[in-house]
Amino acid sequence: MRNSVKIQTRRKDPARFLPYAFIAPLAAYLLIFHAYPLMQEFILSTTYTSLLDPSLREFVGLDNYRDVLGDPEFHKVLRITAIYTVICVSGGVGLGLLVALLLDFNFRGRGIARALVTIPWAAPPVAVALIFIWMFNAQFGIFNDILSGLGISAEPINWLDDPQRALPAVLFTTIWQIFPFSSVVILSALQGVQSELREAAIIDGADKLSVFKAVVWPTIRPTVAILALLLTVWSLRRFDVIWVMTQGGPLGETNTLVIDLYRRAFVYLDLGHAAAVGVIGVCTALVVTFIYFWLSARADRAAGK
Amino acid sequence: MNRSWAFHFRILAVLAVLGIAAFPVYWMAVTSMTSSEELFAGSPRLLPDPAQIGTYARALVSTPLLTWLGNSLIIALGTTALSLLLAILPAYALSRMSFRGKLLLALGLFVTQMLPEAMLVVPLYDIFSRFALLDSLTGLILANTAFAVPVVTWILKGAIDGIPTEIEEAARIDGCSRVGIVLTIVLPLIAPTLAAVTVIAFFQGWNEYVFAQTFISDESLKVASVGLASFVGELSTPMDTVTAVGLTYTLPAVVFYLLVQRYIVAGMTSGGVKG
Repeated sequence: MRNSVKIQTRRKDPARFLPYAFIAPLAAYLLIFHAYPLMQEFILSTTYTSLLDPSLREFVGLDNYRDVLGDPEFHKVLRITAIYTVICVSGGVGLGLLVALLLDFNFRGRGIARALVTIPWAAPPVAVALIFIWMFNAQFGIFNDILSGLGISAEPINWLDDPQRALPAVLFTTIWQIFPFSSVVILSALQGVQSELREAAIIDGADKLSVFKAVVWPTIRPTVAILALLLTVWSLRRFDVIWVMTQGGPLGETNTLVIDLYRRAFVYLDLGHAAAVGVIGVCTALVVTFIYFWLSARADRAAGK
Repeated sequence: MNRSWAFHFRILAVLAVLGIAAFPVYWMAVTSMTSSEELFAGSPRLLPDPAQIGTYARALVSTPLLTWLGNSLIIALGTTALSLLLAILPAYALSRMSFRGKLLLALGLFVTQMLPEAMLVVPLYDIFSRFALLDSLTGLILANTAFAVPVVTWILKGAIDGIPTEIEEAARIDGCSRVGIVLTIVLPLIAPTLAAVTVIAFFQGWNEYVFAQTFISDESLKVASVGLASFVGELSTPMDTVTAVGLTYTLPAVVFYLLVQRYIVAGMTSGGVKG
């Protein structure tokens, strides 16, 4: 009797366990390559560990965090990360929105134009960094040629070696690379704008700005919000363009959180402090994500959804 | 008349934006086909000089360009294959099946999309050094897959959500297994999205820099991103050669993206962005 019951449940088993069989490899992969390294990073952050001999670890508790958070240089890193992120996101979203609105009309070659505008996003970041270094070159770069051609500045301007101008140059490069992504995403959201509503508003005598505010913006707002979150997180994690262009310099003026972390680990060989910066960075990314969802839930409630 | 002026003005603005978008890649081409004497002369050359096509032949001989591109190709193909292998069945399970821990998996996929690669580079370096995965292309494929697979799974799930379940039910009555259904019915229906995620995973591998820069020191295992970055601040390689290497590395990426960008956008907006 008992035996037969067992056989019956066993017969049911395959279907019941199928979802777990489907997800098991992926779940294991995420545990090994995300959860375990995260845990290791946390453990490392409570130790003094040198890259020269990572197996030799000395437990130091929260000292690394105290050192990092009390370090004026790290305050500068946080300030630069904030400036970099805010300008990347507002520039990326703003320019992306303008270009999307510009491309959102019927003309011959519209498909080709929409494809060509994605070139910056498709180009590998290291190649982008390399060609912008060349274009920003003080003596032979095309940017200075353009500026002197326009009569703005006859003197060759030093961009990437100048503490005042390196961050703007890196920001310019980054925004050039990311605006197409925003444009393309906003363009596809614009297809959801009801043309009857827009036409009705125009017939009612609304000018372009009020049509945008009343009809277009409410439709694309959720997409723009998610876009802003993605661009924020991508700005926090961007390494390649900044590292190749400036390595965080000159004088630390482009030293964002990830660059600082990398320098601590692989230039100063100090894994413990680097891991502490990493944990701070991961927490920042998670907090930003959480605040975003909290804000968008509140906005949805306010909109009565 | 007024309207037509506005229209022409708008077309001009579109052309200006396209010019700005394409210019740096064009400038790579021009620089690679300008003689060194002209590069450092007073006024820049605005059109490529066809006589300088030989730069590309010189780049092949004087730099390890082919080795770099070959290694990048191995990384990109490996990352794509492993990501798809890992992602297809879970994407189906997330879309169609109910099971305990589903929310946890969805949350895990979301959070891992938010994790910065460079912030995990320290612990991964430590772990890889213990398992002899430093200085190995396999190690790079494993690390890149970790960052490609969440977005691939997420986009595939979004695409599968869009297929009506009735299509599968007929096959299930005929006794087709779930895996069989996924392979013979679901995958063909989401072919455009499959193409999009293939490209996304491929270029995660092709473009990746921080892991390759950190984990690889063997010259014969260097990938193109690291090779290209190694020219920065190094003065012995002429600029035309450097940009020739840069363009050879950039063009495949741009061409592939342009070919499938429509599906990538559809996939990102349905699965990745709105999801």
